[in-house]
Amino acid sequence: MTAPTDGPEPVQVRSFDALVNDLEALGGKRSDFKGMISVSVPKGSIIEALRQARAAGLEMLTDIHGMDYLTYPGHRGKRFTVIYNVHDVAGRRRLFLRVDLDEGESLPTATGLWSGASFLERETFDMLGVVFDGHPDLRKILTPEDLEGHPHRKDFPLGETPTLFNDGRFLDPASFRAGLSGRDAGLTGWKGGARDGVVATQKPSNAAVASVERERSGS
Amino acid sequence: MSPRTTVEGPVTERPFNEQLGDFETKHMRINVGPQHPSTHGVLRLVVDLDGERIVSLRPHVGYLHTGFEKTMENRTYQQGVTYSNRMDYVNGFAHDLAYVLGVEKLVEARVPERAQRVRVILTELNRIASHLVFFGTTLLDMGALTPFFYTMRERETLQDIFESVSGVRMNYGYYRIGGLYRDVPEDFEQQVRAFLDTFARYIDQYKTLFMENDILLARTRGVAVLSREQALDYGLTGPSARASGVALDYRKAQPYSGYEDYDFHVPVYTEGDIWARMSVRMDEMVESAYIARQALDRLEPGPVIDPDRRISLPPRSELENSMEAVIFHFKLVTEGFHPPRGEVYVPTESARGELGYYIVSDGGSMPYRVKVRAPSLANLQSLEPSSLGGLFADMVINIASFDPVLGDVDK
Repeated sequence: MTAPTDGPEPVQVRSFDALVNDLEALGGKRSDFKGMISVSVPKGSIIEALRQARAAGLEMLTDIHGMDYLTYPGHRGKRFTVIYNVHDVAGRRRLFLRVDLDEGESLPTATGLWSGASFLERETFDMLGVVFDGHPDLRKILTPEDLEGHPHRKDFPLGETPTLFNDGRFLDPASFRAGLSGRDAGLTGWKGGARDGVVATQKPSNAAVASVERERSGS
Repeated sequence: MSPRTTVEGPVTERPFNEQLGDFETKHMRINVGPQHPSTHGVLRLVVDLDGERIVSLRPHVGYLHTGFEKTMENRTYQQGVTYSNRMDYVNGFAHDLAYVLGVEKLVEARVPERAQRVRVILTELNRIASHLVFFGTTLLDMGALTPFFYTMRERETLQDIFESVSGVRMNYGYYRIGGLYRDVPEDFEQQVRAFLDTFARYIDQYKTLFMENDILLARTRGVAVLSREQALDYGLTGPSARASGVALDYRKAQPYSGYEDYDFHVPVYTEGDIWARMSVRMDEMVESAYIARQALDRLEPGPVIDPDRRISLPPRSELENSMEAVIFHFKLVTEGFHPPRGEVYVPTESARGELGYYIVSDGGSMPYRVKVRAPSLANLQSLEPSSLGGLFADMVINIASFDPVLGDVDK
């Protein structure tokens, strides 16, 4: 039930292009793809950009989600992108606001503008590990409390259950595939199986970290 | 909170404290679910109560989290259809449609007209089936057992149609990138017409039985009101938002699959209470049946999948005398197709709200990222503002009135 704190909303509804121009004045970069308009804004001005979008009539925040560009071929920018999906009540104008983030960088919360941002930010935090500063209740939302890591990071392996053989030997699928493909099992050191009684897999080695870094820098 | 009305008239209620004079009460914390029939799946709520009044409510979700998005990122585009419908298991065709529309935008597929019509018919019938489940279970939560049997009877007819079309009753996977898996059976039109004719008779009965029932009116009118501002603030979409005066329906706002050809209107109520949320869905069933009938009238024979060999399998008959067909078949089955790089999002209107797949392609044969904008997760947040200050017993039907499907919430 959080109302916007900056007083009554401006009444005039600006045109979509005027809004995009204003966002570009904030340092945003516009990109169009098949009729979808995205504006990439700097990290510091995302809340201001959202506020302007809202004032311009894009009153609904439909989704907040993130991307991990770790293994995207040829990607040179920062590792993560958080995408805000806002649109107007008639459903005809839609804008994707994008913020690029590196590992360890955090974002200000949008819960002051939309109460509905709460679950969406929690999901983004849970899935990608992006921290939203000032969020009233930033906890995991979908994954179990004892699961380590953030599943939608590209270095989080698919979560098959380790197999226990009769002779007491565990087969951990991530390490098994890593052995076959020559790629390492990942950075997050995912411990196969979330409950007690399951042997943890190996910790990420420095070599694994270095190899992913190499891949990211594209060499 | 607006005063409650019963059959005898409005009831003035005083807080428990006031009735007892100077008397301190303590808040009590109650855990609801996750294993409780009224939570419609595995939803856990931690509720703080002051007497019978709710002072705070926190939903805990994630019990059905299966990682569909991550799985879809490790399967080809065509295989994604297997997973999309498993999220919202009550309204699978809507999820299939949202997914294939996203990929089709990416690969610029040209979906034949017959496939579009069949998609509209099946998706609208599925919307009716979903709303029938909604009415059955919501009224069950209010203590009315009989409506469940009525609505399930109708839904059973629909399930038979879906089974004859796709082969299964719930997880259809019948849509393909560029069209449909196969043409509908010969008696499809007859089956759908038979259903629409009986449904037209039954819907009036339902309206009288459900929506004009005195007990139901007493329990739902003015209860758990959500204002339009709150609906916008909490990102509520779909029928529940239209009950609060948010006139947003993507079938009208950004028509897809040829919805612009059909004549229908979007029921909007402004009351924002449980009764309005039920009435919207009741009216929507009538509109959906009307759309399905129009699409059925315009159903012409023709191909049901884009013949572009880069995205769709060659027909079986070609495999025996065309080497190229065998090569395309082999490549599509083993590797899949490679859409150009890009990010797409197509909003659609599912039975629960705005549903869209944000699909990112890196040029490979598997999506780089799939993000499902599932309506139920966002809609569940509206449970708290609408329940606060209300009675605990009203909260139970309030959960039902937002029609959450926990598979859709948890993904």
